Amino acid sequence: MSLLGTYDPPAQMSDYDSIPGQRQAWHRFVQESFDYNIGQVRKKLRPLKGSKPQFYSATSLDPDGALIEQAVIWNAFPKELLRRYGRARALVEADSLWPLSAYFYDWRYDPDVPADTGADPDGTGLPDTYFYRPTVEYCEWHVDRDAASGRIDRVTFTSEPPEYWIAMFGGKQDGSKVDFPGDPQLALDLYRKLVNPAVEMADLLVKTPFTSPFGALKPGDYNPHNKWNTTHGIAHLSAPPNALTAEINLAAVATVLYEDAAGTPTVDPDAFIAGTDMGGPNRNSDPTIASTVNVLARSGAMITLANPVGLYMDHIDLAGWEVPGGQSAKDWVRVVRGQERLIERLVVGSPTDEFDVSDIRIGGLPVAFGGQIAECITVKLVGVAAALNSVKNGRLKLPSAGFVDPANAREVFGRRGRPTGTVQAFAYESDEVAQKTLAQRRSFSANAKRWTR
Amino acid sequence: MTTKPKRPWPVEPVLDMADIQGIAVPGFFKPHQVLLGLLYQRTPERLEALLGFLRDLTPQVSSAAVTLRDRRDFRSGARKTRTKRFPLIAIGFSFHGLFDLTPGADAIPSPAFKNGLARRSALLGDPTDPKSPGHPNNWRVGGPTTELDILIIVAGDTKAAAAACAAKLEKALKAIKVRVVREVGGVRTDVPGEKGHEHFGFDDGVSQPGIRGRASNDPRDFITPRHVDRSEFPAAAMFGYAGQDLVWPGEFVIGYPQTGPDPLIPGPELAATPSWTRNGSFLVYRRLRQDVGLFWRTMRAQAKRLSRLPGFEGLYDVELAAKLVGRWPSGAPLSRTPTKDIDKLGHDKLSNNHFRFDSDTPRLKLVDGKDSFELAKADPIGAACPLASHIRKVNTRDAPSDTGARSSTYERRILRVGVPFGPSAKDRYAKSRPGKPDRGLLFLGIQSSIEEQFEFLQARWMNDDSRPKAPSGHDMIVGQNSPTADGTRRCVLFGAGLAQAEVEAADQFVTPTGGGYFFVPSISALTTVIAPSSPRAAK
Repeated sequence: MSLLGTYDPPAQMSDYDSIPGQRQAWHRFVQESFDYNIGQVRKKLRPLKGSKPQFYSATSLDPDGALIEQAVIWNAFPKELLRRYGRARALVEADSLWPLSAYFYDWRYDPDVPADTGADPDGTGLPDTYFYRPTVEYCEWHVDRDAASGRIDRVTFTSEPPEYWIAMFGGKQDGSKVDFPGDPQLALDLYRKLVNPAVEMADLLVKTPFTSPFGALKPGDYNPHNKWNTTHGIAHLSAPPNALTAEINLAAVATVLYEDAAGTPTVDPDAFIAGTDMGGPNRNSDPTIASTVNVLARSGAMITLANPVGLYMDHIDLAGWEVPGGQSAKDWVRVVRGQERLIERLVVGSPTDEFDVSDIRIGGLPVAFGGQIAECITVKLVGVAAALNSVKNGRLKLPSAGFVDPANAREVFGRRGRPTGTVQAFAYESDEVAQKTLAQRRSFSANAKRWTR
Repeated sequence: MTTKPKRPWPVEPVLDMADIQGIAVPGFFKPHQVLLGLLYQRTPERLEALLGFLRDLTPQVSSAAVTLRDRRDFRSGARKTRTKRFPLIAIGFSFHGLFDLTPGADAIPSPAFKNGLARRSALLGDPTDPKSPGHPNNWRVGGPTTELDILIIVAGDTKAAAAACAAKLEKALKAIKVRVVREVGGVRTDVPGEKGHEHFGFDDGVSQPGIRGRASNDPRDFITPRHVDRSEFPAAAMFGYAGQDLVWPGEFVIGYPQTGPDPLIPGPELAATPSWTRNGSFLVYRRLRQDVGLFWRTMRAQAKRLSRLPGFEGLYDVELAAKLVGRWPSGAPLSRTPTKDIDKLGHDKLSNNHFRFDSDTPRLKLVDGKDSFELAKADPIGAACPLASHIRKVNTRDAPSDTGARSSTYERRILRVGVPFGPSAKDRYAKSRPGKPDRGLLFLGIQSSIEEQFEFLQARWMNDDSRPKAPSGHDMIVGQNSPTADGTRRCVLFGAGLAQAEVEAADQFVTPTGGGYFFVPSISALTTVIAPSSPRAAK
């Protein structure tokens, strides 16, 4: 093998080819993120003498031995919503937009009372007037409905990272030193082609400054939360955690090994993600990504992400789909951007004017929500493990654990605060088992009384 | 000063053992079964006669308490008591069978149950070509025009006992003009060394989940016996037998806590809608025909082909089949013995289920014996036990999946209570016409959600080429070909030195030939809602 030359755009998309220096800048941007995160891992490992980062960049290291490509896959439908609301309500919310201000404390947000976003009393700085999709599995979708009938005309899915589009507008991204040449006109043309011919440049740019998860945006900057990417359509991912740099960060920090108070390695995927606070513990994606990486790290492997680094839809499962007019379900699915098994944009719609998406039945049930289709979509990233058993790193103590409601343990809290009355979860896996079990036992006793008739 | 940590042992709910049917808790695990599929007529007279039959039957339906006592008797060796016992009986209703007796069934929030198996067949990957033998139009039972209304399961310790009990019921049903479709199944005993094995020759039902919960207020009266010493925490709180996951009872019975993020903290209670569905379950019945000759000829041909590839030298048919199952014919897991079958390990319940996939398996202190076999090593990429093997496709154990972390595997577990049917193959490689002789599995699975458990496992994991964990491939044993891009199932295997090779099968070893989705009501729902003992008020 040899060193990788450059990091390519996701799915080898060719938009940047017409912008001088853009592909090179993209490479530097991805490289910068790798370097930063390798540095973060090095910092974490400082207390462990002799330990070295197991996350690497293929541009600077070529480990000996066979490379094992490890696709990490997950379902596109947001498990956070499933856990919180159950499927019926989750389908409604997954097709909806939530105010950005609700993001950091989303467990306080009640979609039935949208005026109260549950934002931290001190304010999160995120505005009420811009929106995000609570579909935080690195796949988002927009449902186009007929205004009169409410029937679904088409559903458009994307896994394109926001960084790719922000870069297309040029300049530096939040926290990055890389200056993209950019071509706003190209971006506008793409918006018109992919989303709506009526898109104007002014629609896409920030008018008044506001704080976004992608940094402090000032007038003239590209606004990833613009209406054609939220309320009126979709071009790319824009929910705060759905970012390429988040993917790189998670893959990197998940290589760090942990153990409990007794020195037993932390191996439970739920406890690992909750205890390290490195992603959303209630998602399909983050626990799977983190745990898959950590397992390989425990095997002493060196780990990286395959080029082109990206977030992709792997496939859509059409089993049980019934479409009208003697057509094949395959005719209703178009891959618009990306390539086979590295899908960036996918549109589900009728190939003829005669029918619409509401005519599709899945398992005998008519499609009433975009989320029913999302349930059929598998999302992925591709990791690489190399030089198995070559690294023997030490283990840090698992710093924390999540919290759950003992009377109704649906979801794990921790990352963004926790409701009163929650108790520690995974106590047996963390460093705090001795201190934190009393309250839990009280709750168990309360439950025991309830169940014992 | 250090204090010994207090351990958060879960307090497990007491289940309503007198009300839950025994097929759901603890499950019928008797060696012989007769299934009586009922199709009744909707005239007032016939309906009234049916209700009379149901009223007479209800006292004979085995409760969880009766079934658990029967099992404990069996395990304690009280065989005399056991043989004197009446066979166990269970009853379930399809949506149409239930709705025409109890219109309130319309409020049951299960689209799968209400649509029925035949209409959900394509979702399960069954053939969509009406000419195919596996298409619902060609099913022996439960097709679009032969959908069962009611399923009665009679389970006995002997074939004769089960048959005699079923014959009595059948006679009573014929007297009231109810059409009966009978299926007879039982543990295979006609091939030495294969008792309890399904027709392909593999021990079946080795890794049943354990139902978490108690049969009484006694804090140690666990429905699933515990075999791991309490000094082993959290393993002793996680398992019945070592490796047998204890799953919160709401995954099997309505009205109890389900899985939460932490396996030791109960998740939300599964609400009973309508209220009389409390203590009820859903039963999936699939009549699966197995083509033994095709399976073994394919194994032989594929093993021969692979054995010529570097890293796969010497591969033989049984070894290949074991890789695709994840266990050797004896039941011994590949994770613990990757290169050869160990009969003793396969038969040892203290050991045969104790293995992890993603991390080294620790040795545990057990209360009633020792596990002295080689322990499983971490196998995240499937070098020992392939990611596409049947056992990794349906139970991800400690590994994450496309639906998140470990808790997501508990949410998918089902209790399998079926048995094989048909004669054993004399020559496992012999060619025969499909269905001649007819043999296979009467698959019966208990769960609280057909959509999230049985259908999820079949459609989303077994039939898919990458889920639950990539890079894997299809479930080559039970997976169906229809959902694949070119009608061929494939999976990836690792050989020596991490050499990789693909196995493929264009023909299906398993063909669906019938079945149905059923609601298994509580005994109180039978007596007060479905077939009340006092005559109903005139409408």
